[in-house]
Amino acid sequence: MTPAWLLDIVAACMLAVAAVSAARLVTARPWQRGLVTLDTDAAHLLMAIAMAGMLATSLSTLSGTAWEVVFALMTAWFALRVLADARANGARALAAGHCAPHLVHSAAMLYLFLAATVPAGMSGMAGMSGMPGGSGSMTGLRAPTVALLFALILVGYSAWDLDQLPGRRSRTGTARVALAGGGAVPLPALAAAESPAVTAGCRIIMGIAMAFMLVIAL
Amino acid sequence: MVLLLIAVAAYPWSFYYLMQHPLAGSPALFSAAFMTMRRVPMSEVAVGGGRGVLRARPGAQAGPAPAAVDARRALQLVLAAIWLFDGVLQYQSFMYTKAFAQMLGGTADGNPPVVARPITWDASLVAHHLILLNTLFATIQLLLGLGIAFRPTVRVALAASVAWSLGVWWFGEGLGGVLSGGADPLNGAPGAVIIYALIAVLLWPADRAGERPPFTAARAVGGRLARALWLVLWLSQAYFALAPGNRAPEAASGMITGMRGGEPAWLQSLMRAAASLTAHQGLATSVALAVTFAVIAAGVYLPAPAAKATLTLAIVVSAVIWVFAQALGGILASGATDVNSGPLLALLALTYWPAGPAGQADDEAAPSPVALTAHAEEKLA
Repeated sequence: MTPAWLLDIVAACMLAVAAVSAARLVTARPWQRGLVTLDTDAAHLLMAIAMAGMLATSLSTLSGTAWEVVFALMTAWFALRVLADARANGARALAAGHCAPHLVHSAAMLYLFLAATVPAGMSGMAGMSGMPGGSGSMTGLRAPTVALLFALILVGYSAWDLDQLPGRRSRTGTARVALAGGGAVPLPALAAAESPAVTAGCRIIMGIAMAFMLVIAL
Repeated sequence: MVLLLIAVAAYPWSFYYLMQHPLAGSPALFSAAFMTMRRVPMSEVAVGGGRGVLRARPGAQAGPAPAAVDARRALQLVLAAIWLFDGVLQYQSFMYTKAFAQMLGGTADGNPPVVARPITWDASLVAHHLILLNTLFATIQLLLGLGIAFRPTVRVALAASVAWSLGVWWFGEGLGGVLSGGADPLNGAPGAVIIYALIAVLLWPADRAGERPPFTAARAVGGRLARALWLVLWLSQAYFALAPGNRAPEAASGMITGMRGGEPAWLQSLMRAAASLTAHQGLATSVALAVTFAVIAAGVYLPAPAAKATLTLAIVVSAVIWVFAQALGGILASGATDVNSGPLLALLALTYWPAGPAGQADDEAAPSPVALTAHAEEKLA
């Protein structure tokens, strides 16, 4: 069986992603400014918490049903956002819009919760113990072809995101946009959380971790 | 299910296509399902108008604009995605059981002692340090994928992937059964992992001076060598298809039937149909495959339109073999260490696709810093 310590490491990565997402939400100060990124940061936060809980029972927070509701709502929200983008800007919004990747991530999470089963004869074996129906048992997935599709799309996104990460030569070239009248200087840690590279890094980690969970639950 | 099948089989092509083609020219079919991959980094930007209009988030660092992705870079990213997927597959529960070590040891059968002994030694080592070594194997593959996808490390990762592939070809696949007589193109001969190495060499980020490459694979090694490699690969497949063990009456149907176990019902029914079609037709199947492979092998020497037709044939044949004979690499049966040869042969075919007048981008150039639009600057002022 996939070692429990490996699942714990992935769960720890998810907690780190959750912390970064929370920091981004705080530094964004949405109560002061209207932002379009609140939903994506919140989605990252919720997904990371849910994934950590699926990987390690001790990190489990909400019940499986509650998470299903959360991710169903999230999927519907991002689907609406994508549709609205598509209506406003045409089909190309599906590609360039910032919601489509989150739609895939949300749908993959919803699928993970809905499709989890406990195969016969696997009771008592180590696995993703926090998954619905898991509770110390190895989990399997209904409709595994869908899991394969999601996993392929997720690793594809991750490769694309990595390609877009700035290299050494341009890391210092990203301009800091000074806000007129915005005198507050964020703490270094919080400023780092705002970095696009950190955001992309979180997305990459989350995508690979999600593909990992889908594949080992096959 | 058929739609799912097509979507899975078309993965390398769709990924490549999306990164290569401007959005405006993308067919609706691809737009609907996959165009989401071509996007600007989210969170910092919003989309507006025809091109992606970047709007800075007040108080935030501006994100990088999407880097230019040329044909070679797009293909490298597909390769990276496949390595990432392989890495994830290697973490599966099955790989942490003795069956994995036995699977490795089984590849020694029929090989000459000089090849078989190191395989047996390696399998024994893996059996004794299963958790440590398998985790190491999986992590290496994950790192190869990450390294190829990250521009500053692409050279190191590609070079490492060649070395790793050669090692796995020997110690993990017993040289693909080439020396043992067990090589079967329906089952991935001459070894899926050797195709990773070949693709890595062909996608090496360098350009030969003074020569306009006719296709992406020729950019690093030149057209003559690239064509020779293609010829050798596909003619070897034709040769293996005609091997005595593969042209026996029940060889093809028996192999397909053997791959069905543990697969989803829809895939089993497809494979059952394929097994039924090839039952008692081993010789005819082998001859048909050999002729097809020979045509594909010669295709890259033909003029561009004919070359495109044979490359399309190569992609279709690879997809058909992957689905009907290789059971999608056995991934859905939870015992696969890689995707098998189907997607890789399709990816390889794309590297030989006749080039247009596209420029050659600097593969290692990092994404350019974002240039704020006038709209955004006005907003911030």
